[in-house]
Amino acid sequence: MLVMRRRAGESILIDDAIEIQVLEVLGTRVKLGIVAPESVLIQRKEVKITRDENITAARSFEHQDIPLLLSKVSSRAVSADVKNLTDVFTLTTKST
Amino acid sequence: MPRMQTKCFDEVEYAPDATFEFSSGIPGFETEHTFVFLQRPATHPLMFMQSVSRKDVCFILLPVLAVDRHYELRLSDEDLAALHLPAASRPDMGKDILCAVMVCAAGNDRPQPTANLYGPIVVNLKERIGIQAIQTGYSPRHPLTSQEHPEEVKACL
Repeated sequence: MLVMRRRAGESILIDDAIEIQVLEVLGTRVKLGIVAPESVLIQRKEVKITRDENITAARSFEHQDIPLLLSKVSSRAVSADVKNLTDVFTLTTKST
Repeated sequence: MPRMQTKCFDEVEYAPDATFEFSSGIPGFETEHTFVFLQRPATHPLMFMQSVSRKDVCFILLPVLAVDRHYELRLSDEDLAALHLPAASRPDMGKDILCAVMVCAAGNDRPQPTANLYGPIVVNLKERIGIQAIQTGYSPRHPLTSQEHPEEVKACL
């Protein structure tokens, strides 16, 4: 990884098309300004990680996989504080 | 009562006030705003976060404390605002809010199921709204092993 030290007001150029400006440094937070072509996707890394994991999780199971999944998690299921925590009746639809 | 198609339970009838609104959706599913949490005795403790409008959009959740009973949820002021809770407040887990994590079944990229402690689903039980509140200190792929600390799990009975 390339490491550079920059102060507020300074910039980094990536190729000619992308500029990252350090706008403000306040305590533990840095405010960045990014200038890039519209075709470049810019996102917070946390959101990218979350999106990928959400999509994988939604696709990871089908109806028939549930018993296997259940067998993996059932030993952790029974604690009383879990029941209090979920308060299942506020959430559950009365489906039959 | 309205009915919806679900991924795991065929057609289900639900109370209109049993839904939760995710006004921004969640990353990857930004267009799905309305979810119902389904739970059945046969699949306890799993919860199914089912989109009302899309059958295939369903997530399996576990209460976060069932996965990590020392879990510490940190909500930023932006998270609290999205949940319609006062800034700098400390909502009571189980009473004001519910926090649950998505489970991903084992597959090519993971030998055992994992829980996403990095992106817990947090809902305001009174307002019936929810967000995915990112917690950078936790893993998005926390392995779920059934042999993990069985004594400890028993101890909290």
